[in-house]
Amino acid sequence: MTSTRTREALYDSEAALRLVDNQLDQLHGHDVRDVKTALAIPMISLSELPQILEQANSQIMTVLQRLRESRAALQSTALEKFQTTHDKIREVTSATEDAAINIMDACDRATQMVDDLDRLDAEAVPDREKASGLRSTLRDELFVMMGALQFQDITSQQLAHASAVLVEMEQRLLDVAKLFDHNVDADGIDTITVAEETTYDPNATTRNAEGRQALADEIFTAVRSSAA
Amino acid sequence: MKFLVVDDSATMRRIVINSLQRIGYSDTVEAGDGQEALAKFDSSVNFVITDWNMPNMSGTEFAKVLRSRDDGRHVPILMVTARSVKEDILTAMEAGVNNYIVKPFTPQVLKEKIDALLPAAAA
Repeated sequence: MTSTRTREALYDSEAALRLVDNQLDQLHGHDVRDVKTALAIPMISLSELPQILEQANSQIMTVLQRLRESRAALQSTALEKFQTTHDKIREVTSATEDAAINIMDACDRATQMVDDLDRLDAEAVPDREKASGLRSTLRDELFVMMGALQFQDITSQQLAHASAVLVEMEQRLLDVAKLFDHNVDADGIDTITVAEETTYDPNATTRNAEGRQALADEIFTAVRSSAA
Repeated sequence: MKFLVVDDSATMRRIVINSLQRIGYSDTVEAGDGQEALAKFDSSVNFVITDWNMPNMSGTEFAKVLRSRDDGRHVPILMVTARSVKEDILTAMEAGVNNYIVKPFTPQVLKEKIDALLPAAAA
């Protein structure tokens, strides 16, 4: 919605600027092209001048108003987008930290189990049943470590989203620059390079996986029940 | 039981394949997107586990194409994805997905969903 408002404001500003440009051209043309006419009938030209100036003033006021609106819309959009991006990056930091802590905890438990296995092995009569139980638990711990690595896929999507926001904001700033100067050479500006096609879910998160799974289960159950 | 595991993240493919091995399924084939998955799918595949967001062909597009093929009409499709809003889940169902796992998942959830779809896979 904010994006639409920004585009509308930009469009209005551009249209208003074109009108002013047109008025100024007319004013300029009046002075230069029709010098003889102006000299011949100076009263007519002078009588037109206030009206032309009034029109120019009106158009300039419109442009200023549109620019104020554009600035407000751009500011609002940029802040919103950057806030979302900031939140995503913070979540990436948090997710990687959580995963690292989970893996470290699992490592500690696994190390302890290996020590326990060594102690069991050193006994005169090793308790095979206990050792078997420890190995099974050790495998579970190793699996916990692997499962924690799922954060990589989700944080990749979050970073891809943050990158897309930066590219979008860059494009908008270029559009604004072009609005003020049509000669801006976008090709001559070093822009963000998107290395490859990336697909991502902008809502990807590591948070509340159980709650989100419960919602998916609920929807599948409800749809199947209604279909049956 | 042969599984086709489709995900553009190599890490996720390894996690899913290792999870499958842990619950007793070692016959797997993997693909990095829907197009590659379609090329690798044949009647020997009994079960499909696919991600949603992938380049070239998404998981839902892949599911739709698979459902239009004679050899893919009845194969169970389990979607494993980070997408979890209601509209997405409904879209996946419409595409022909049989069940849905939200990332990050636990091996227990994966096993439950596979067990629930096994009768269809065995048919």
